[in-house]
Amino acid sequence: MNGRPMTEQSAAGSVILEVDRVSKRFPGVLANDAVSVAVRRGEIHCLLGENGAGKTTLADILYGVHHPDEGSLYLKGAPLEMSSPKDAIGAGIGMVHQHFEFVPPMSVIENVIIGTHAKQWLDMGEARRRLQELFDDYDVRIDPDAEVGRLSVGEQQWIEIFKTLYFGLEILILDEPTAVLTPQGVDQLFRILRQMRSEGLTVILITHKLNEVMEISDRVTVLRRGKVVRTVNTAAVTRQDLARMMVGRDVVFTVENEGGAPGNPLLEVDDVYLESESGRGSLEGLSLTVREGEILGIAGVSGNGQNALFDALVGIRAPESGEIRLGGGSIAGLSARKIAALGVASVPGDRIRQGLVMDFRVKENLILGRHRSRPYASWGVLRRKPVDDFARQSIDEFEIMTPSASHVTRTLSGGNLQKVIMARELSRTPKLLVVHQPTRGLDIGAAEYVRRRLIQERDIGAGVLLMSEDLDEIFNLSDRIAVIYEGRIMAEARPGDTDLQEIGLWMAGITSDPAAAGAAAAGGAE
Amino acid sequence: MSDQPRTSAPPEQPASRSLLMQPGGWRLERRLYTSPFREFTAVVSAIAVSVLAGGLLVALAGAGVVEAFRSMYDGAFGTWNSTLETLVQATPLIMTGLAAAVAFRAAIWNIGGEGQLYAGMAGAWWVSDLMPGLRPAPLLFVFMFLGAALAGALWASIASVLKAVYKTNEILTTVMLNFVMTSVLSWLLAGPWRSPHTFYYQTERMADVTFLPRFFQGSRLHWGFAVAVLTAAVVYFVLRKTSLGYEIRGMGANPVASRYKGANVGMMIITVMAISGAVAGLGGAGELLGLHHRLQMDIAVDVGFTGIIIALVARLHPLGVVVTAVAFGALVNGSTAVQVTTGIPAALVEVIEGITLILVLLAAVAARYRIVRPSSAHG
Repeated sequence: MNGRPMTEQSAAGSVILEVDRVSKRFPGVLANDAVSVAVRRGEIHCLLGENGAGKTTLADILYGVHHPDEGSLYLKGAPLEMSSPKDAIGAGIGMVHQHFEFVPPMSVIENVIIGTHAKQWLDMGEARRRLQELFDDYDVRIDPDAEVGRLSVGEQQWIEIFKTLYFGLEILILDEPTAVLTPQGVDQLFRILRQMRSEGLTVILITHKLNEVMEISDRVTVLRRGKVVRTVNTAAVTRQDLARMMVGRDVVFTVENEGGAPGNPLLEVDDVYLESESGRGSLEGLSLTVREGEILGIAGVSGNGQNALFDALVGIRAPESGEIRLGGGSIAGLSARKIAALGVASVPGDRIRQGLVMDFRVKENLILGRHRSRPYASWGVLRRKPVDDFARQSIDEFEIMTPSASHVTRTLSGGNLQKVIMARELSRTPKLLVVHQPTRGLDIGAAEYVRRRLIQERDIGAGVLLMSEDLDEIFNLSDRIAVIYEGRIMAEARPGDTDLQEIGLWMAGITSDPAAAGAAAAGGAE
Repeated sequence: MSDQPRTSAPPEQPASRSLLMQPGGWRLERRLYTSPFREFTAVVSAIAVSVLAGGLLVALAGAGVVEAFRSMYDGAFGTWNSTLETLVQATPLIMTGLAAAVAFRAAIWNIGGEGQLYAGMAGAWWVSDLMPGLRPAPLLFVFMFLGAALAGALWASIASVLKAVYKTNEILTTVMLNFVMTSVLSWLLAGPWRSPHTFYYQTERMADVTFLPRFFQGSRLHWGFAVAVLTAAVVYFVLRKTSLGYEIRGMGANPVASRYKGANVGMMIITVMAISGAVAGLGGAGELLGLHHRLQMDIAVDVGFTGIIIALVARLHPLGVVVTAVAFGALVNGSTAVQVTTGIPAALVEVIEGITLILVLLAAVAARYRIVRPSSAHG
């Protein structure tokens, strides 16, 4: 334990969890490079960094998922050795993952106590009583007997948190918890986290969102390329300071956007109904219009029909009723291939599952969907040179970081995966661009690039339908904002005529007249 | 390499789920990327180990291991003629192996190679029966092979159309269609196609003009082997160099993304199954025209199923299928020799085949992990 670094001047609590020069290597990457962090008891400590900065790896090490290659962990001064999350829970450390896992048909209480091996007998009555107490303490209204599958995403997330409280853990790690929430949902989450802090619990929050860091954290540790840049008191820094630490240079938060010059209606969606496969997120009479040279931003909490809308527009599923027209001609029910041939390009929300074949080479992914047509194939045989040329050109133009065009796509980072998709989709100068979550999980640099390209496409006359859960992005890029709620467009506004608060209420299904707003406050907007 | 089927978890969700814990800090961790060389080495080691395991079984059966291995080798490659006979055994296995490999590449689980092979035999026989006077002979061969391919493809299409239209599980339908084919064949052989001149359930012997030429005097090795090797080359070309092959690989690796980029999944299922069935059918024609010259029951038992094992051991690589099929052919001949010289039952082949399959599959998975030592910092 010689010379453990104490990063800070001491303030509130004593150090509860200390990371001492931890390194973790993955094939080809040094995910954590001699990382040292000291987390104090009773603080909310943010781990801030771009994608690939090593935050999630560090969190996985703290939760026993990964084992450090070098360096050590100390819990309350004693060395902490973990080989699985079970050990972490034993040591009082809990974690809420980005994608939390549930048994949907089981009740809240069953999901909380699932995996309790401690006792031979399950005392459900006792468990329910204790959980209800916790819910009351935190002023959370969830029925412990409700079926988890029927709860909102925000409520499901609370259950993960309450699991931690239920087991009496002292440290809670949350990995990008706000990605799935409305602004109001974020407020509620933060309220719970603050109360946890006031009760002496320690919260480690992983995020790449500067606003959240500024709002909730006591201290923040900035990571860049696997290394700790600094740990600072949040009160002592500005958003700009943090951004500079995170990216290593000055950053612009919003890309320059002069606004579009909308022309004729390009895409007209008229009263479309489409039931989703899961039953959640169906389209219930959705109508909208996208004009040439216009970005229509669709804001909404995920699961309100975005996936079904995307699928209907690109030809994966035919609407059950209603009409979709592109440049006046109907495209409802046409195949994905035909719709693409009409000039519709798309960037799907789940880029790994829907956008790429991860086992393909980069160059193979760059021609996905065009592998049958000239110049990439003739007489059914792929032509090496045009494919290679196009790959080289795309890699240059979009600055895709890959060792070569023949490298397996799987080894690329998230931002570069998105660039591969963008390069493929934009290469044909599409008339209509349907994009879903184009910058989710991307680092600031890559996100900025993607946004610039969208504006560029609009400026040369394309219509862009942008579905995003990042409201800053929606406000920055859109010429018009429409809010999707339960499968229809709830309301529409120009970015200058509305604000985050109003959009947030619409996203929760609440119209802006005062009576309805009052009901929202009472009911908990989620 | 895009040939490597599904190597590891996507980078955005690091190994959290696929981590196996060991006591004492030793652990298995999934590699982000497994090189083809590593996978190849793993498979070769697995085959070596299964040979040793075979030796152990021989020893357990009470025979001399060295003696058994020697006679196995002699039986498979000991003489010029036994080597050629090994290739004869390998010929139908190459075809059913390729049939399985093509379908599996698209993640379509065609277990019906056996039935499709018999369908091909029947198709070739039917053509020869319908147009016995067709000349010149090469044209007749073209028609017989076409008939076989078509029959195999059509038989496979029953399962693929059901899958494309009704989303029926093709594993069940193809397996069941094997039994149906047996029944259809025994009906044909008992009734309409039965030779009036024999006591058995079989057809008339075919005209000499339909016999596939043999390579060497005194050996049974026939042109069906050349057809098999050629088919392997064509399958390799199709998978690697054509738009169709690209789409097959894409669908096998990620059907969702393929669909989003315009693949017509139903058409692909039907196309791939038709190719797979046609290849198996061609294999049937080779057997009929090269060796048997009349249609009978039970002239290619388990060839379809062994083909599946071969495809898997070859990691679905068409050229690997040829090598593996020859190895399995050697195993068949070698074990017959072992039985003759040592009295160990030839059923040993099936045991060794099974062990090889299990070890190769294990090795291929194991190659994707690495062992991580406990970090020295913790002493």
